[in-house]
Amino acid sequence: MGLVARAVEAAGIPTVTLSVVRSMTEATPAPRNVLVRFRLGQVMGEPGNVAQQQAVLRAALDAVPALAKPGGTIELPFRWRRETYPPPVGRP
Amino acid sequence: MSRWVNRLLSKVYTRVPALSERYGRRAGSFDDVPLPDLSVLRRPVHDARIAVVTAGGVHRAGQPPFDMQNPEGDGSWRSIPQDAPRQELVITHDYYDHTAADQDVNCVFPVDRLAELATAGMIGEPAPRHAGMMGHLSGAQLARLVDHSAGEIVSQFADDAVDLVLAVPG
Repeated sequence: MGLVARAVEAAGIPTVTLSVVRSMTEATPAPRNVLVRFRLGQVMGEPGNVAQQQAVLRAALDAVPALAKPGGTIELPFRWRRETYPPPVGRP
Repeated sequence: MSRWVNRLLSKVYTRVPALSERYGRRAGSFDDVPLPDLSVLRRPVHDARIAVVTAGGVHRAGQPPFDMQNPEGDGSWRSIPQDAPRQELVITHDYYDHTAADQDVNCVFPVDRLAELATAGMIGEPAPRHAGMMGHLSGAQLARLVDHSAGEIVSQFADDAVDLVLAVPG
């Protein structure tokens, strides 16, 4: 994942890369890394939990201007279900 | 037999995060592509066209599935339109437990969440096309990803004038 993000970034398109495994991110960092303490296969959140998934997505996008150095990492504070996520936006 | 074992292992790894951390430490680092300088975001996020590249093995049902017989994985990729019917999106990937993403592909490929943020004015728009690939590559298949697929993915994003790419693991 990190290698593809590097290739995209090197071509001039900014990237932000999510991760749930700190050791893999540290071994091969992407240009901008956002670590979330969720399960493998559910990095955005649990199925159908729109509020949680939107919160992760918004936090990842917010990290883009915040990460100024190549290979930098921001760890999200979310605690899976033990968290009050903002109500979903953009839903009919 | 080996696919069955891989699927079982993937469930164990999903339930015991410490094992994934140990795997990550053992996997070592990959320096096939150097860490580049950061590119400049050409427009603010609330105005940006955003694409997703997922390593969760997502593809359309009509596209060839990723090769699960090769122990080095499958370094090819699939182009996935934003407007692909969601029931056409499937996952072929034995190296992580995708039970959750089978129910809701947004767990690893948040295309509906991007559309909602666009509706709410928080991003410009989702890109017209995204990219699906698989993680857990090694050897010749990792080289295939780096030497061929990555460039093709970059070309698609450049052709679509993508401003920002979100990379999501499986």
